[in-house]
Amino acid sequence: MKQLLVCLIFILIGLSLHAQDHGLYWKYKDYDGAISFTVPRWAIHAGSWFLEEKQDRKLARKVRKVRVLVFEDQDAPVTKRDLQRFSQKAGRRHLEPLLTVREGQTRVEIWAKERRNALRKIVVLVREPETFALVSLRGKLKMDDIGQLIKELPKEFKGEGDKPLLPQNVRNVIRI
Amino acid sequence: MKKTLVLLPFVLLLAAVAPAQNDAINRFFNQYMEDERFTVVFVSPKMFSLVSKISTDDEDWEKYREAIGGLTGLRVLTSDSISNGIAMYKEALNKVPAGEYSELLTVRDGQENVRIWIKDSGNIINELLLLVGSPDEFVLLSLTGRIDLDKISEISKGLNIDGVKQLEKIKQEDKVKKD
Repeated sequence: MKQLLVCLIFILIGLSLHAQDHGLYWKYKDYDGAISFTVPRWAIHAGSWFLEEKQDRKLARKVRKVRVLVFEDQDAPVTKRDLQRFSQKAGRRHLEPLLTVREGQTRVEIWAKERRNALRKIVVLVREPETFALVSLRGKLKMDDIGQLIKELPKEFKGEGDKPLLPQNVRNVIRI
Repeated sequence: MKKTLVLLPFVLLLAAVAPAQNDAINRFFNQYMEDERFTVVFVSPKMFSLVSKISTDDEDWEKYREAIGGLTGLRVLTSDSISNGIAMYKEALNKVPAGEYSELLTVRDGQENVRIWIKDSGNIINELLLLVGSPDEFVLLSLTGRIDLDKISEISKGLNIDGVKQLEKIKQEDKVKKD
C-alpha cells in the first residue's frame, strides 16, 4: 500500500513537471543565452513612483506581473512544437490571438485574455531568425484605463501622424 | 415528415457549399501565409471586439469605435517586390467566387489592376474583398463583419488609409445605381 502511494506521488510529480514544460517561459528561462526576468507587483508599484502623471502611476499599479524571455543574436532554441503547444494551451486558458503580423522573417503575435471587461493577460511574441522575445503581462487593465491611455497617446501613435499603419501599396489602392 | 426528409439533403448541401466558396480565398491566404516575399496581417475578431469596448472622450475615436463595432476580421496579404504580380492577380481572380460577391469597382491603370468586391445586404456590407495586381505588386485584402457604407470612411481613417473621399464617391455611385 505504501509503495502504491509513493508510486502515485511520483506519477503526480512527473505530470506536474510535464505540465510546466508547456510554459515557454519556464522551459527556456535557464537555457544558455536566455535573458529572462520577472518583475513582481511590488517592484512595479515601487517603479510607478517615478512616473510623473498620476494617471500613469494608477495605470502602472494595475499591472501585477511582467515576465520577459529574450534570446538575442543566436538561433533561439524555442521549437515549433513548443510554440504549437503554447497556442493550444492558450486556447484552453482563454488567451486569444489579437493580431498577427509577418513581414519577411519577422513574426509578431499579440495574445490577450479578457474577463469581466478587463484585460487580465497580454502576451507578445516576436520571432526572427536570430531573435526570440516573449513578454507576458498580467494585471487588471479595465477598458476605461486603456481608453484613458489612448486619449493621452500622441497623434503619431493613433495613426494620425506621418507614418502610415498600412503599407504604401494598400494605401495607393484605396486612394484610387 | 416527407417534406422535411426531402428538404434535408438540400439544406445539408447548401451548408457544405457556402463555406466551400469562401474556402477558395482562405486557401489562397494560407498558400502564401509563410511565403517570405509577402507581408501578412491578420486582425482577429477579438481585437475588433476589444477595441469597440474602449470608450474615450475623443470624438474621432468614438466615431472609429462605432464604425469598427461590427467588424469581425481583417486579413491582408501584400507584396511590393515580386516579379509575378500580374500572374498572382490572375490566380487570385480565378479563385473569387463570382456568384457570391458583387463587383463594386474595377480599375485598370496602365499595368495596374484593381478590383473591389462586396458581399452585401442593403446598405450593409458583410465582406469587402480588394485585389490589386501589377508587375511588381500584389495585394489581397479581406475585411469581414458588418461594414456600413456610411461609416466606411471612419474605418479608413482609423487604418490611416488615404483616399477617404474616393471611397465616399463609391458610396455615392452605389446610391445613384440603387435609385
